[in-house]
Amino acid sequence: METKDIDHLFRHHSGKMVSVLTRIFGLQHLDIIEDAVQDTFIKASLTWRKQQPDYPEAWLTKAAKNRVLDIFRTLKSQKNNLPNISQGTDAIAINELFLDSEIEDAQLRMIFTACHPKLDPRDRISFALKTVSGFSIKEIASALLTKEETIKKRLVRARKVIKKAKLKFNIPQGKDLSERLESVLEVLYLIFNEGFHSNNKTQLIRTDLCTEAMRLCQLLLKRKQTQLPECYALFALMCFHSARLETKMSLDNAVLDLKQQDRSLWHFPLIQLGNSMMYKAVETDEFSCYHYEAAIAAEHLKAKTFEATDWSKILKWYNALYLLQPMPSHLLTMAVICMQTEDYKMANTYFNQIQASDLEQRAYLFYAAKADYYAQNDNFSEAILQIDLALKLVNNNLEKAYLEKKKELWLQN
Amino acid sequence: MKDFMMIFVGKEYVDLGLSPDELQARMEKWFAWGAKMEKAGILKGGEALTPQIRRVTGKNRTVTDLTSTEVKEIVGGFYLIKAKDFDAVQEIAQDFPDYDLGNTVEIREIMVFDQ
Repeated sequence: METKDIDHLFRHHSGKMVSVLTRIFGLQHLDIIEDAVQDTFIKASLTWRKQQPDYPEAWLTKAAKNRVLDIFRTLKSQKNNLPNISQGTDAIAINELFLDSEIEDAQLRMIFTACHPKLDPRDRISFALKTVSGFSIKEIASALLTKEETIKKRLVRARKVIKKAKLKFNIPQGKDLSERLESVLEVLYLIFNEGFHSNNKTQLIRTDLCTEAMRLCQLLLKRKQTQLPECYALFALMCFHSARLETKMSLDNAVLDLKQQDRSLWHFPLIQLGNSMMYKAVETDEFSCYHYEAAIAAEHLKAKTFEATDWSKILKWYNALYLLQPMPSHLLTMAVICMQTEDYKMANTYFNQIQASDLEQRAYLFYAAKADYYAQNDNFSEAILQIDLALKLVNNNLEKAYLEKKKELWLQN
Repeated sequence: MKDFMMIFVGKEYVDLGLSPDELQARMEKWFAWGAKMEKAGILKGGEALTPQIRRVTGKNRTVTDLTSTEVKEIVGGFYLIKAKDFDAVQEIAQDFPDYDLGNTVEIREIMVFDQ
């Protein structure tokens, strides 16, 4: 068997099985369910040492099905009141829950549970990555650049809330759906961004996060109720960004900005997929922030060279985005765009509306942009002062090296 | 050629909280190692062991049931292989996937009795 076929098989399967078993036993038994699923993978990892089965997925599903009865016994011994499912129609019904379409349904229920308004927004991503995506605490911690202890606390807190509020394991309907969906999309967007923009040093983790966010977004698009313009727009955005994920790093791992990326390496099929998603996204004229972000990303991809970029269009989209989402980071980007078109006066008006501290942990971007601003206006001493401020705040080694290279260049002037 | 046993001693996966992804990665390494030995025609057998222990000890045949969590180290499995000598087995044991978990390979020669 090709190893590639089962890339992340265990991780993906873990999310599927935890979701299906939760549908059978309910959210209040999540701990027992997660232990049981973990046990399945340990067994598989030992048994498969000698020989891997012809159909690994079917093997794992069967193993998980076998766990149903084990979990049942555990719960019974804890004197939980449960129906007898070992025989008859209940057993048939349970079998049906392991069909592919039902597994997807269960996973969606889990995503919506993870994004329930009762859960602290910070806990949602951790909980989703753990239960829906099968990441371990260690993997979540390194993906989110957070301590393992913190992630552990978030997961415990999320589970407590779920138990206490007796959350139902379902997909909300009607008005509730649109509210909850907003939170779902936000979580998927954050997971994706954590991969695409994060300060994470490991390329592998970044790619993992991006593909996982896309996989979950696709689950939403498979279902009628959630085939909504904003979902298509978010997926289009992810396609456009992913198309150039590989080119973000050059061979020596230096961060390449858009100017230096080898555009011939952009992944064309993903751009095409993004385009067709965009067509679906604009079938109504109600636009979300994902629409504008996707439009911006598409505009970058359209340009054959960096110089050919249509900055005025991009600025237009950013203005629309800023109206929906008045964030200081958008203002900073708009300042940078104005610098591209050498409209320094306008750039300055945008700069004047923000403080570095508004950007929190990305404050170094503010100083780096200001440094560029001064350098472009031939004020190299001020540019160096600004880039030193940026260098003081930047965490990521790659970004640091990139800034230092710039500084060196300016020192020669 | 002589027969040797490689015995794997240390912590059990079940007690280490490995993620599905980590388990899969380790499994693939084990699989590759086994396939390599098989291809070389030196693999005679091997098994992985479950973490349950029933210990019978002493004159009174005292019985204790234990799991891997209750012991410092546990034998997790073994391979039986053909090799020239200890050095050759040591070379083969380089590919054991779990050194980073602090686990150990014990190499023992199968005793041959004179006929």
